[in-house]
Amino acid sequence: MKFFSRDDRDSNLNDELQSHMNMDQETRVSRGASPEQAGLDSRREFGNAGLVRETTRDMWGWARFERLAQDVRYALRLFAKTPVVTAVALLSLALGIGANTAIFGLTNALLLRSLPVQNPQELVTLGMLTPTSTSDPNPIFTNPIWEQVRDHQEVFQSAFAWSSQQFDLSQGGESHFTHGIYASGSYFLTLGVKPAAGRLIVPGDDVRGCPGVVVLSYDFWQEQFGGDPGAIGKSISLNRHSFEVIGVSGRGFTGTEVGYGYQVAVPICAEAIIDTRPMLDGRSAWWLQLMARRKPEISPEQLNTRLKVFSKSVFESTVPANWPPDYQTKYRVRFLVAAEASSGVSLLRRAYEKPLQLLMGVVGLVLLIACANIASLMLARASVRRKEIAVRLAVGASRARLIRQLLTECILLSVAGAALGLLFARWGDLLLVRFINVKRQQVFLNLSLDWRMLAFTSAVAVATGVLFGILPAIRSTQVSVASAMKGSQAQDGEPRSRFRAGRWIVASQIALSLVLLVVAGLFVRTFTNLISQDLGFDTGNVTLASVSFFSLKMPPAEQIATRSEVLQRIQAIPGVASASQSVLTPLGGIGWNDNVVIDDPSAPKGDDALVDFNFISPEYMSTLRTPIMEGRNFDKHDVEGSPKVAIVNQAMARSFFPRGNALGSYFKTGDDPKKLFGPIQIVGVMKDAKYGSMRKAAPPSAFFPLTQIPEPESGGVFEIRSNLPAATLLPTLRKVFAEVNGSLPITFQSFSKQIDESVTQERLLATLSGFFGVLGLLLAVIGLYGVMAYLVTRRQKEIGIRMSLGAQRGEIQRMVLRDVAIVLLVGVPVGIGVAAASAKFVKTMLFGLAPRDLTTLFGAAIALAVVAAIAGFFPARRASRVDPMLVLREE
Amino acid sequence: MPDRYQNRIEILQGTLDLLILQTLAWGPQHGYGITQAIRANSNNVLTADTGSLYPALHRLERKKWISAEWQLSENKQRVRVYNLTRRGRTQLASERSRWSKFTEAIAGILNPSGNEAEP
Repeated sequence: MKFFSRDDRDSNLNDELQSHMNMDQETRVSRGASPEQAGLDSRREFGNAGLVRETTRDMWGWARFERLAQDVRYALRLFAKTPVVTAVALLSLALGIGANTAIFGLTNALLLRSLPVQNPQELVTLGMLTPTSTSDPNPIFTNPIWEQVRDHQEVFQSAFAWSSQQFDLSQGGESHFTHGIYASGSYFLTLGVKPAAGRLIVPGDDVRGCPGVVVLSYDFWQEQFGGDPGAIGKSISLNRHSFEVIGVSGRGFTGTEVGYGYQVAVPICAEAIIDTRPMLDGRSAWWLQLMARRKPEISPEQLNTRLKVFSKSVFESTVPANWPPDYQTKYRVRFLVAAEASSGVSLLRRAYEKPLQLLMGVVGLVLLIACANIASLMLARASVRRKEIAVRLAVGASRARLIRQLLTECILLSVAGAALGLLFARWGDLLLVRFINVKRQQVFLNLSLDWRMLAFTSAVAVATGVLFGILPAIRSTQVSVASAMKGSQAQDGEPRSRFRAGRWIVASQIALSLVLLVVAGLFVRTFTNLISQDLGFDTGNVTLASVSFFSLKMPPAEQIATRSEVLQRIQAIPGVASASQSVLTPLGGIGWNDNVVIDDPSAPKGDDALVDFNFISPEYMSTLRTPIMEGRNFDKHDVEGSPKVAIVNQAMARSFFPRGNALGSYFKTGDDPKKLFGPIQIVGVMKDAKYGSMRKAAPPSAFFPLTQIPEPESGGVFEIRSNLPAATLLPTLRKVFAEVNGSLPITFQSFSKQIDESVTQERLLATLSGFFGVLGLLLAVIGLYGVMAYLVTRRQKEIGIRMSLGAQRGEIQRMVLRDVAIVLLVGVPVGIGVAAASAKFVKTMLFGLAPRDLTTLFGAAIALAVVAAIAGFFPARRASRVDPMLVLREE
Repeated sequence: MPDRYQNRIEILQGTLDLLILQTLAWGPQHGYGITQAIRANSNNVLTADTGSLYPALHRLERKKWISAEWQLSENKQRVRVYNLTRRGRTQLASERSRWSKFTEAIAGILNPSGNEAEP
C-alpha cells in the first residue's frame, strides 16, 4: 500500500466527497432540475461536509497521535517562548537523570550483567568450606585440587579453572604489565566461547611440560596487531618468555572476572615456564579459581549435596604432606560448595558493591530535588497560564484533556532531559572507571548500552516527568473559571494552598539536600581523616622502583650482588638524598606475616600472635623517615652469619612485652612449634607505621635485615628519596638499572601515588558524595530562590499597600525572610532526622567518626541555613524595593 | 416530497457495514453509487447518510475488507471506487449469517406462535 502523506489524504478525501456531490447534482440535472437548484439540493442532502470529513478522518486511526502531536507542538512552542526556564529545567533534569544513569551503568556493569557466554545461568563458582567455618567460602584452590576435580567430577557438565595474573609484555628493562589469565584446557569449551581467529586453548594444550602458547583477547588483538589474522603463529613476550599466539577469543568476551578483563590467556601448565616455584604440584600453593557448568537437571541443593560427597576424595588425595597433623585433619574435612555465578566473579564487585548502593541512593535524592525544582517551576508557570487554562476550560476543553496536555509537556521535558542525561552518563561512567583504575590493576568494565540501562533510563524519565508534572497539572486545572477570567492577577479567588504547595516542595528539598550534605560531610571527613593520619613514614618525594628476578633465573647470591650494586649506584646519583631496599613497601598490596613466639605463657596466641614482617636495608628508616624510638638501626655488621636481629614497632613491643622490656628480648617465628626460626634479638623499637591498610591502626610488625632473610625473595623494592623532578630522576634511574642488568624487569611508582591508590574507594565516595551534596544544595537553593522570588512577585500589590500604609523596608524584608525561616524550620529538622536514621547504613564505610557525628550534622545544617538565607535575601531585598506608587497605579 | 423522508428508516447501528459489503459484492462501486444502490434496492426505504457512509467506507478499508482505487467515471470525473477484498467476502458471509440469526430471533419474539405472520 502506498503511504500517503497527511495532506495527500486530506485532498483526496475532499476530492472523493466533491465527486459524490457532483454526481448527485448531475443526476438531479438529468432528472430535469436546474443546475443551480440541483447544486443547492445535493449540498443540502449531503449534510455538513466539514463534519463528514472530520468523522471520516477519525477512521484513519491517527486521531490519538494527532492529539499527541498537537500537544507536543504546543509544548515545544511554549518551551521556545521561555528558553531560559526551559534550559534550566532541562539541565537540572539532565544532571539528575544523568547521574542516576551513570551510577546505574556502573552498577549494571559490575553487579547485574550476565557474562556474554552460552547459558550463563548454568554457571557456578566453587568455594571451599570447613564444617565449623562461619565465613564465606574460600574461592582459591591449588592445582592438585583442580586436577582432582577435573579428572574425577561427574557432578557438572564440565568445570574449569583459571588464575588472574599480571603479565609483563616488555622484553627488557621497564615492565609493561597487562592483565592475563592462566586458563585450564576446559576454560573456553565450558564457557562456549568461539575463536575470532585461530583456535582457543583446548584440553590438549593443558598438559604438564606444555610449550608456551597464548590466546589473545579480541581487544588486545585489535590494539596490538590491528586485527591482523597474520598474528597467529607470531610470538609475544610474557614475563620475558616467548609465547606463540595460537588464536583470538571471540569479540566481547573478556573473561569470567568482571572489572578486570583479560588480554592474554595461557594454559595453566605454562605456569612452569614462567615461575620457578613448584606451583603446579604445590599442595599449599593457592592460586586457582574454579567455575563449572551445572547440569540443568540438578538443582542447586542437590548439587551441593553431591559436591559434599565428592569433596571427600578430592581433599583426601591432596593433603599437604608438610602440614602439622592437626592442620591436615582440618584439611581433610573441607568440602566444596557451588554458588550461582551467571554474572561472573569479581573482586571489584566486592569492593564497590556497597559504595555503589550508597551512591545510587545519593543520586536518587539529587533527582528528587531536581524534580521538586521543576515541580515548583511548573506550579509557577501554571499560575501564569491560569487565564489561558480558564479560557480553554470555558470553551469546553475537558479537564482530563488539559491534564494530559500539561503532563505531555512534563514528559517531553523529562525525556529530553533523559536523552541529554544519557550523554552525561556515558561521559560520567568513563570518568568514574578512570577514577577507580589503579596502576596495579587496570579496570575494564563493559559499559555499553544494554536493555537494562535503556529500561532504567526510560523508567526514570517517565517517572520523573509524572512525579514533577502531576501535582502542578492537577492543581493548575483546579481553576475557578469565573474568577480567573475576571481580574488580571485576581489573587483573591486563588486558593492560598498553591503557595503552600510551593512551600512544601521547597521544605522537602531542603530536607533532602541536608541529607545529601550530611552524607557528603561524612565521606569527605572520612577521607581527610584517612589521608591526614600519621602514617609513621613520610611519603613525599619518595619514588619506588620494584624489581622482579623471576624471569632471570639468577642464583640467589648473584641476585643479592646485583641488588646492592644497583643500590650503591642509586645512592651515588646527585640529588638523591637517600635510597634503600626492602622486600615490600607499606600499602603496596602485598604482605608477609608469620606467628611470633616468645618465652612467656601470657604472650598472644593464635591469630593474635600474627606479626607483619618486612626485610629492609639499614637506610630504609632514614629514607622513609620512620624514627627509631629505642635501641639501634641495622648496620653493616648485621650480616647473614651474625646473630639474628630485628627492629619491632611500638605495637608489637606493647602486645608482646607489656612490661616495656622489648628491647634486648628474643623471639622466634613460624607456625610449626617444632620448626621455629630464631632466636631473634630485638635491637630497636621503631615508631608505629601503617602496613597493609590505611584504615587499620599500625599492626604489630617486625623488620629484619635483608641480609638475614630465611628464603631469598626474587622480588623487591628500592625506595629513593630525592627532590629531583620525576622527569629527570626516572631517566637516570632507568639508566642505572640498564647499566647493571638490561633485562631486569622494573616498575616505577611514586610512593604517595601508591598510598593514594590504596584509598581509591574512599576518595571516590568523598568526591562523588561531595559533588552531589553541592549539586543537591545548589538545586535546592535555586528552588528556594525561585519560589521566594515568585512569591514576592505575586504579593507585589500587598507589599505596595503595606508600604503605602507606612511599613518600613526592614519590615518587608523580614516578612519575606520569615517565609524562608518557616521553610528551613520544617526542612532542617526533618533532614537531620532522616540523616540520623539512615546513618547506620554507612557506618562500616566511615573512618575516624561516628555515623551520627554531631559536627557533621550541625555543620551541614548551618551551611544549608546560611546558603538558604543568602538565597532568600535577594527576593527580600527586591520586595523591599517595590515602589508602592507603581504597583497601585496598575490597578 | 416530505413524505418520502418520513418513510425512510434509519439504518440500524452496525448494519451499514453489511449493506456496504453486500452492495460491493455485486461489483465495484463508488460512494455515491453505494448510496444509490442501497436506496434503490430498499425501495427508497433505506438511506445511507453520507456522515455515516464515508467514515464506514474508510473504516472498512482500514480493516482491509474493501480496497479503493481512483478511476475516471464516464464523464471524465475522478472517482474513488471501492472493491470487495477476499477478506471482505469472508466477512460478508459471517455478517449475513449473523443478520439472519438476528432477524429470526426478532421474528420469534414478535410472533411467539411462530406460525402465522401478522397481517
